[in-house]
Amino acid sequence: MLLRTENLSKHFGGLRAVDGIDFELEEGEVRGLIGPNGSGKSTFFNLVSGIYRPDEGSRIRIGGQDTTHFEPHRIAALGVARTFQLLRVFSEMTVLENLLVGHHLHVAYGPVAAVLGTRRMRNEERRVREEMMELLAFIGLADFAAMLASELSVGQRRLLALGRAMAMRPRLLMLDEPAAGLSPVNVDNLLRIIVGLKERYGLTVIIVEHILRVVMDTCEKVTVLDHGQKIAEGTPDEVKTDHAVIEAYLGREMEDDEVRRVLQG
Amino acid sequence: MAEQAASLRFIDATERGLTRLRAVHPLAPWLVAFLLLAPLPWVLLNTYHVFLANFICVMILLSVGLNIVKGFCGQVTVGHVGLYAIGAYTAAVMSVNFGMTFWMSLPIAVMVTLLAGAVVGIPSFRLEGAYLALVTLGLGESVRIFISATEYLGATNGFSGIPAPRIGDFRFDTYQKYYYLVMPVMLLGVFFSFRILRSRLGRGFMAVREDPVAAAAAGVNVRGHKMIAFLISAGYAGFAGALYAHMIPGYLNPRNFTVIEMVTLLLMVVLGGLGHIWGGVIGAIIVTIVYDITKDYYHYSLLLFGSVIVLTVLFMPKGIGGIIDRFIATRRFIAIREGRATRPGSDDAA
Ligand SMILES: Nc1ncnc2c1ncn2[C@@H]1O[C@H](COP(=O)(O)OP(=O)(O)OP(=O)(O)O)[C@@H](O)[C@H]1O
Ligand SMILES: [Mg+2]
Repeated sequence: MLLRTENLSKHFGGLRAVDGIDFELEEGEVRGLIGPNGSGKSTFFNLVSGIYRPDEGSRIRIGGQDTTHFEPHRIAALGVARTFQLLRVFSEMTVLENLLVGHHLHVAYGPVAAVLGTRRMRNEERRVREEMMELLAFIGLADFAAMLASELSVGQRRLLALGRAMAMRPRLLMLDEPAAGLSPVNVDNLLRIIVGLKERYGLTVIIVEHILRVVMDTCEKVTVLDHGQKIAEGTPDEVKTDHAVIEAYLGREMEDDEVRRVLQG
Repeated sequence: MAEQAASLRFIDATERGLTRLRAVHPLAPWLVAFLLLAPLPWVLLNTYHVFLANFICVMILLSVGLNIVKGFCGQVTVGHVGLYAIGAYTAAVMSVNFGMTFWMSLPIAVMVTLLAGAVVGIPSFRLEGAYLALVTLGLGESVRIFISATEYLGATNGFSGIPAPRIGDFRFDTYQKYYYLVMPVMLLGVFFSFRILRSRLGRGFMAVREDPVAAAAAGVNVRGHKMIAFLISAGYAGFAGALYAHMIPGYLNPRNFTVIEMVTLLLMVVLGGLGHIWGGVIGAIIVTIVYDITKDYYHYSLLLFGSVIVLTVLFMPKGIGGIIDRFIATRRFIAIREGRATRPGSDDAA
């Protein structure tokens, strides 16, 4: 078991954003996490990655360690990488530097070596730059390495955010709406990249996505949230026909035609 | 245009020269910088200008340090002058009241300033932006008020009789001699900042500045980095303070550590370029010289410097450092378009 949550909860004032979620994820799985707007998907990510403090009584275990009260950088050190719905790339840093920060935990030299400019430090710096350039080539941003992240298009920034997470060489990759705002062609590209990454590095992945085709095509298993609670879990086909899921989506007149089409079809 | 071609040739020649120097030895450019700066006291016409050169070196240390925590790590700390005062007065007390030599009072001053830096750093764990600015402003001002009210530190009369540093019988008791103490320390300080900022640690600082949440999710220990940035900048302030205290006439006064000095120091970093690796150096040189030229209007300097800060932030947020970068980039771009130069990246490959 790579990730397990027990009774995971988070409230904001009177609002139960995440409400007693028990969640289990096996190593190597690609899991979809879906639910209507405001159902608690991003909050779930923020809890697992340590950005929010869970409520009393919650438990999070990652790779057998109790991480309920870990700070985010310690969770990152366990091999958990995530992207953000609003991207949060480092705007005033170059594209390459963004990945280098992602690789932070794997850059093996300290400040003293940096000041002395030791051979080891210079070799290490050359190595990580080469590796990050390779990764940039893989996600198709190599030509932009020296540009500031703020100069990229929104779609390119999305790729950069994914690249930064990959630079962490994670075991568990959590993607919060990686395809939002991408054109259909780019969504296909992104899918290829995600599947490619998964095969290449043997990752475990959780994808939050509103474009249900992405989830249905890539995930073996899907978890559905509504009002902070887990209302269904199973294969895409099982979930599609689940009564509670259809109600959660259609009962509230979603505007997204695609949701309706995919769920009914 | 011929003019543009000339400036590009100059830029390219400088860069080629630097690359060649670095190929000889990574430290070679620094040795050249030292050799270029060494004759300065003999070139400058009068002693007052030599004093100014010394003072600029002290200011460079101070503003390079501030740029690390403010420009690179993004922590809006305003009371940096308070740390400088702590460094200066610690060195003064150690040498006058405890009879220590400069070589003892300097490290003690730096250590005490580091402690004070840690105290300033702690609020940054919880506060951001204007709130952090207010707290640090308060801390900085309270240092000055404390000094003004403490007889032991000379209160408003000032603290005098701080001895010049010496090595054996050699005393750094003129501005000309002192220059050879303060200039090498300044160069070392700049060198240290370059190495730090271009390393993993420097990237961590910038990530904390850009987005602490994303930085933490990438594995950067945000609090740790903030604290280290505060400590490094405090270390610089300690060196600057001790060097200022021991410079002739060996006299300190709380009037040298007021809000005006805070604003002047802020202006150095903002004008030079917040988060630009040369920002502190460029700013300290220009602002100290301008400050000196306009010192007859001392009472207006708060107004003058304050408005320049606002204008700089509004119209050239990356300061002079950023403008120079853009100038170079534009020249290159024009050259590439006209087919007269190769892409900047291709030098490295050769
Ligand atoms: N920091 C916060 N403070 C207050 N309320 C919050 C905070 N973060 C989330 N919420 C609330 O928690 C609920 C769940 O939000 P969350 O962002 O997890 O939803 P989501 O499933 O990711 O939605 P979407 O699909 O729109 O991204 C929402 O009602 C939101 O307003
Ligand atoms: Mg969300």
